[in-house]
Amino acid sequence: MSGQLWTFLIRRSVGAIFFVAIVSIAALVLVRLAPGDATTELALAHADRATIEAARARFGLDRPVLAQVGEWLIGLGRLDLGQSSLYSRPVADLVLERGLRTAYLGALALFVATAIGLPLGVVTGSRPHGVAAAIVTPISIALVACPPIVGVLALLLLAATTGWLSTAPGAVLVPTLALSLPLAATLERLQSQATAETLAAPDVAAAAARGVPPARLVWIHAARQSLRPVLGVYGIVIGTLFSGSLAVETITAWPGIGRLMYDALVGRDLFLVAGCALVGAVLIALGNVIADLIRAVADPRIREQL
Amino acid sequence: MTTPGRVGLGILGLLAAMALLAPVIAPNDPSDQFSDRAYAPPSRIRIRDAAGFRAPFIYKHVLEDRVLRLYREDPASPVALRWFAGGRLVSTASESPLLLFGADALGRDLFSRLVFGARLSLGVVLLGTIGAIVLGTLIGGMAGGLGGSVEAVLMRVADFVLVLPGAYLILALRGVLPQVMSASEVFGLMAALFAVAAWPHVARGVRAIVAVERVRDYAEAARAAGAGPIRLVRHLLPAARGFLAVEIVLLVPALLIAEATVSYLGLGFPEPDASWGTMLQDASNVRVMAEAPWMLAPAAALFLVVLGVQLLGSTRASATVLRLGDTRFPLTAATARR
Amino acid sequence: MKSTRLIGFVLAVAAISGAVYLAGPNRPDNKIALHGPNTGGRLVALYSSEPKSFNRLVSPLGAEELIARLTHATLIRVNRVSGEIEPRLAREWSSSPDGLTWTFKLRDGVTFSDGVPFTSADVLFTFAALYDKRVASPTAAGLTVNDQPLKLRAVDERTVSITFPAVYGPGISMLDTLPILPKHKLQPALDAGTFRNAWGVTTPPADLAGLGPFVLKKYAPGERLLFERNRKFWLRDEAGRPLPYLDEIQIDIVPETNSEVLRLESRSADLISDKVRPEDLAALRKKESDGDIRLVDAGISTDPDVLWFNLAPGAPAAKTRPWLQQEALRHAISYAVNRQVIVDTVYLGAAVPIFGPITPGYGEWYLPDLPRTTYDSATARTLLGSIGLTDRDGDGMLEDASGKPARFSILTDKGHTLRERTAAVIQQQLKAVGLGVDVIGTDPPTLFSRYQQGNYDAILFYVTVDSTDPARTPEIWMSSGAFHFWNPLQKTPATAWEASIDSLMQRHATTLDGVERRRLFAEVQRLLSAHLPFLHFTAPKVTIAMSARLKGATPAVLDPPVLWNAEVLSVSGPLGGRQ
Repeated sequence: MSGQLWTFLIRRSVGAIFFVAIVSIAALVLVRLAPGDATTELALAHADRATIEAARARFGLDRPVLAQVGEWLIGLGRLDLGQSSLYSRPVADLVLERGLRTAYLGALALFVATAIGLPLGVVTGSRPHGVAAAIVTPISIALVACPPIVGVLALLLLAATTGWLSTAPGAVLVPTLALSLPLAATLERLQSQATAETLAAPDVAAAAARGVPPARLVWIHAARQSLRPVLGVYGIVIGTLFSGSLAVETITAWPGIGRLMYDALVGRDLFLVAGCALVGAVLIALGNVIADLIRAVADPRIREQL
Repeated sequence: MTTPGRVGLGILGLLAAMALLAPVIAPNDPSDQFSDRAYAPPSRIRIRDAAGFRAPFIYKHVLEDRVLRLYREDPASPVALRWFAGGRLVSTASESPLLLFGADALGRDLFSRLVFGARLSLGVVLLGTIGAIVLGTLIGGMAGGLGGSVEAVLMRVADFVLVLPGAYLILALRGVLPQVMSASEVFGLMAALFAVAAWPHVARGVRAIVAVERVRDYAEAARAAGAGPIRLVRHLLPAARGFLAVEIVLLVPALLIAEATVSYLGLGFPEPDASWGTMLQDASNVRVMAEAPWMLAPAAALFLVVLGVQLLGSTRASATVLRLGDTRFPLTAATARR
Repeated sequence: MKSTRLIGFVLAVAAISGAVYLAGPNRPDNKIALHGPNTGGRLVALYSSEPKSFNRLVSPLGAEELIARLTHATLIRVNRVSGEIEPRLAREWSSSPDGLTWTFKLRDGVTFSDGVPFTSADVLFTFAALYDKRVASPTAAGLTVNDQPLKLRAVDERTVSITFPAVYGPGISMLDTLPILPKHKLQPALDAGTFRNAWGVTTPPADLAGLGPFVLKKYAPGERLLFERNRKFWLRDEAGRPLPYLDEIQIDIVPETNSEVLRLESRSADLISDKVRPEDLAALRKKESDGDIRLVDAGISTDPDVLWFNLAPGAPAAKTRPWLQQEALRHAISYAVNRQVIVDTVYLGAAVPIFGPITPGYGEWYLPDLPRTTYDSATARTLLGSIGLTDRDGDGMLEDASGKPARFSILTDKGHTLRERTAAVIQQQLKAVGLGVDVIGTDPPTLFSRYQQGNYDAILFYVTVDSTDPARTPEIWMSSGAFHFWNPLQKTPATAWEASIDSLMQRHATTLDGVERRRLFAEVQRLLSAHLPFLHFTAPKVTIAMSARLKGATPAVLDPPVLWNAEVLSVSGPLGGRQ
């Protein structure tokens, strides 16, 4: 890679760090401003006043919000994300533990979705009136239109009634399918569109006129070109996948960061909220950088823009 | 317009008409809870009985077992359908309601809730999508077309909005807003939220496309001819049409689903107003899915909407395809495929 | 040739896959003994939340309580079904003539799971940690009388005396909530002031020690807890066989009810964390007739939904709508809501109408002859008219004297389907008599914060209790209590009847005479029924579902419903489905 590309990377990374910090602080402040606090569970368990006040002091809720933000920032410098009020553990440990679980699931789902979605997209895009397209396209649309909760529940129902798949917490097949099938459908739709457009371009017509066989045209020539817009989407996809899907993780009992984020929100666990927002922001920012990088590597014209 | 495009338009048109005409085509009030009708199956409209053909009617549903949710049609009590009564296209006397898609957990008519809910859900998603597209195209177009610091600042803002977890914002917002909000207030707020949440996706894509176009020959030519920045951007924007079509197809289901999630965080349409999002939540129960599948009607409706948008969107690709090539040919789709 | 080779290949693949499948997690359990309850086997239970700590004194929530019941023991135990006090670590006890001092003789030969002998020092240590200010244990308040701690004295290694600061009605049954912790493991932490952080969820299981029937073997965070038999457990059954019968208990963390029920149905689990939902009853009954599942009717629940209005003087809503705080409004609502509709529609018939906070699930405290309001919308309208709410413009809805519509909002928590449906039914029923209701669903912290600030019209919520004895929940009945819903934390009783209830409950808590206590509390219930500061509509029937292979279970309404006596549970065969 040229020095130009390195400067681009460094500039983006520095911007990203600054920006991730802002997002995390915004999340912390927003949750602190929201009604209710981390002592609700204790109060609902009929704890008395003194205990609740002690808890509030322990969680730092008796200090102004800016003080907590400052505390968090200082901790960030030491890579210490504070203590979780819900789990009484360091946030960094929790977030790492759950983040890796979600990453594992996300990577698996991405792999499966790519393996299914992209080739199918090329097929339906190159032969829009073929048998494959007639079968795949409605299924694709159904998967894209399916609300995540309904989809996961349907899968769970299938797994439980047929007994083919395990529904225990930590069993990876059901959540992977739940995540990858709608994603595969989205990728297929995008790839299909991109392939159709690429194939209709004049340079492809020119290649056909030169005598390049159709299979080669579709799978090598057009696929390469049509991959670019689709790969651009991967940035967002990676970011969203790796921030965890609440529906999938809750219903399939997968201990990931999506569920952690929601629990932190409902439990008003300020430092955990900031930690999760940080991870989410890092992933999305990373995804963006990767996406821009891919586009830059693939298209020299874009490199000029950097 | 191609045939798929016409079909898509037809589907969307039909759904829109049903939503607009909801007060007329809904057989019942969407918030009426009919007693002894929880999870009732759809009413079967018949036109003949033992005596031969007669005007359309249904048999009264009798609850056999409450826990097992077993209903039986009572052949001894036919209930006639009346037409154009009380401002409704078709209905029955109220103790034996016409349940075209069955009833939900509280005995409310699912079909009526679906058509009334379409107004809220489709409306909010339509407004949100338009808002996101308009906002995103404007901002992305400006960023890509003007470049430099404008582009950098605008894209930073887009990234920030993209990255901020919406759940936290909504939660804080809910605490600040008045406790009781009318359906129209929620409608406006939700549409605005959707537009604000979704525009960065659009902007990023538009910016990328416009930035590429900016260095094309025709753009250089336009600049040489003295086109100012706004005019230039207007020239560059059409290149993004293909992308925008795809974005709309992806945004619509995403926003429809988001409507359900947002209501879970407390910013939804208030009871007893029906919206597809809240109806989907009611149906998110394995027991319901397995034994009362008519409650998944909003999911089917959602599928139809996405299908319609998809079909409609695919009709444009062939027209714009040429401009994504390396040179700009004013060719039609037909000549390109030669 | 080619096709036979292909067939051979396919058969080989099929054979190998079949072997892999059969060798997988569906391995049958250990061999089972033939006499009496079977020994051995692993029970798979599901729970909806994960523990925040292994230190029961620091966190009183559901998961921690469950783990404490499995791995620790108490001095005495209240039998969840009969309500009787059973000897546990204390084998017998006697009280002084004034009823204030109780002397407990501890069992002999009891050791912790790590072999260290159990003595009275451990009891004293546990109480010291409980009352320690640096620990700030939420459980401490429940073990005080009039805010005074109990006084303990070790008479000798095998005898402890506990002195109550005042006569206490519930008596020693309060000791059921306190697990006895090992002094040798936790004394250093208590001395150093780090007791709160001791025994967090990252503690290696080998560092934990308890007197309960099981020990923690492994914890996979967010996924499952695995417990194995405590070989040093001190209890034997009537035949002299050592308890517990089970080899292992596996608790899977499954946050979603749908998945729990599906796993139970597909025989991948033995127990779910909560009672059966009404919509699942049909499918589970079918499974019961197939012989896969057993359904047990545990009684009526003790935590019904309760609707209350903000009756604090000076509440902002009451300034513009003074009728909100009128007693007649609440009586009108009680007449206007058809409780049978809630029973039939929301609970599919699996509930009973109730008219006060004490349901039949409270046993001896329930008052069957409490006045019941019948469903009567005419009476409701008359009552509403008496506070100035009539239909002045003929639109079917009521307006107050100034012509403003009679509308109020009910705040409830989102995500609890049955309660949301109840709110929707109440909304519909009140609309029929002309009252407009807005249902606002929020998450629990928002709801609680609005409750504490008094920023609401009415709330529909619930309260869980860990004992049926009303003296154990003074925070509800006393006007100074934090859970005196309609007007909490009063400095002096706001009304005459609340003052009466205060003094009745005071006497109720400080007498040992059971008959007198019931009489006093009946009086309290009648006062509450007359003034209706809070309304109750229905109480669900509690049905507990378990796999058919689970034996020895005696389910109860209080948590944990089945695992409260885990030491006598056994399984009669392997689980059927995939785990």
